[in-house]
Amino acid sequence: MRDRGATYLLLAPAALIFGTLFVLPLIYFLVISFWRVRLFKLSPDFTFVNYLQVFDLHLPTLIFTLSLAFLIAVLTTALGFTYAYLIRFKAGRWGPTLLFIALITLFGGYLMKIYSWMTILGITGVLNTALRALGIIEEPLPWLFYNVGAVVVTLVNFLLPLAVLPIYASMRGITDIEMEAARDLGAGAWRRFSDVVVPRSHPGIMAGFALCFLLAAGDYLTPQLVGGKVNMIGVQIAPQFGGLGNWPMGAAMSFVTLGSSLAVIIFALYLLSQWRPR
Amino acid sequence: MNRPSNILWAGVGTLFVLFLLSPLVLVVLFAFTSRPQSAFPIEALSLRWWQAMLANPNFLPALKNSLLISGTVGIVSAIVGTMAALSLTQLDPWRARLATALLCLPLMLPPLVLGVALLIFYSRARIPMGPQTVVMSHLLFALPFVVLVLYARLRNFDFRVVESARDLGASPLRAFFTVTLPIISPTVIGAALIATALSLDDFVITFFTIGKGMTLPTFVFAMIRTTVTPAANAVGTLILLMTIGATLTALWLTRYRG
Repeated sequence: MRDRGATYLLLAPAALIFGTLFVLPLIYFLVISFWRVRLFKLSPDFTFVNYLQVFDLHLPTLIFTLSLAFLIAVLTTALGFTYAYLIRFKAGRWGPTLLFIALITLFGGYLMKIYSWMTILGITGVLNTALRALGIIEEPLPWLFYNVGAVVVTLVNFLLPLAVLPIYASMRGITDIEMEAARDLGAGAWRRFSDVVVPRSHPGIMAGFALCFLLAAGDYLTPQLVGGKVNMIGVQIAPQFGGLGNWPMGAAMSFVTLGSSLAVIIFALYLLSQWRPR
Repeated sequence: MNRPSNILWAGVGTLFVLFLLSPLVLVVLFAFTSRPQSAFPIEALSLRWWQAMLANPNFLPALKNSLLISGTVGIVSAIVGTMAALSLTQLDPWRARLATALLCLPLMLPPLVLGVALLIFYSRARIPMGPQTVVMSHLLFALPFVVLVLYARLRNFDFRVVESARDLGASPLRAFFTVTLPIISPTVIGAALIATALSLDDFVITFFTIGKGMTLPTFVFAMIRTTVTPAANAVGTLILLMTIGATLTALWLTRYRG
């Protein structure tokens, strides 16, 4: 009764959407990154000039972006791991509530979270006015806002549910029987953690880290809205597609960012894979 | 389990919950206060920012666009996603996993890159940009969620009931509409609501692919880019109400338990 033709026919609309709206635009985007702009018009070419220019003009920004994204992804993954661990092993009957909160905040909106952190950290913002009203400070603290710290806090807050959910999904697979077996075999708390919990959570940690890193490295709004002068590569990419933009240049910048992000992710995943049971 | 460690974990949990929820709670809180800044102390409760929101000439068109786009994304991705998930259950596990991984690829791309790649594609292919291109773009990230949720449901589905219907002479289509669909319909609706919520919430891809119009998130962006006004809190609260409402209903319908 398994009809091969019908099976593939059912998959066809999804494949069509994936092919025409994802694969095709990305291939075209890649092709354009080798083109040039002559007299304000896009003209086909095969040149690496755009890529060379990316390294000439934006290398410091790129390195800064990758380092910041790495810091954010490590922080988010560590916090996400802690939260998932809390849900799975420590929270007891509160576990479902904590998981539910992670799910709700996942849908809480990217833009609204950035806006909320603007109102929290700003000079006349929530934190400063609250601290003044409580008499803890006299003058507003200007260093809360428009700096790298504000970008890190905002992005960690936005990305945290994206790290919690895959890590928790992995941890859910660890059975109590496994943990008891480890204990019966003489493993202490640390060895149960290091030899059972962490290795069994690897797929979730890797997925969470990769997702957080890519989203942080490709962000362009957070650095503009809460970072002030914080310059990330996305801030340079976005205007290339506005009125005075250079599409081939923007495309080349995008692919350099994607490629170098993948390299960092593969390196980080290699490091993590070294954490094996003894 | 000893007592001090319990107290420590309770403290850690409380901090996490505060960190995750406070930005959202503050948006809602300051949508209902009277001062012209989002700041403490709160002097009085007021609906003035809701009035300001309604008085803005861009608000109603943005709301209309948002509802139209996210509704269409929900319906289309539910239909296409259900078909794809049904197909996955009939593939061997290796192929099914490959197909799911491919479908999830658009989620791994930074929205900025996906947004500008689509912008160039539409403009070079001379596809006029507007709500229609936003719907097409949103399908890319909504569809994987629908497929994942439905595939998980269908893997626990007892296909013997469908086979009974087929043995009794029902055509495959009739078996689907009279047996399979009624059983999985809560999950289909739940998945459609998740797709709707994701679409409603998206800013970056909408921003690059909508052309001239506005949706609620791009309306908020236009408000906050120039000055910080608490009217943005009212719009934000409205978006939150809709996305969280849709998500809660979806979780309840799909019986999602983590």
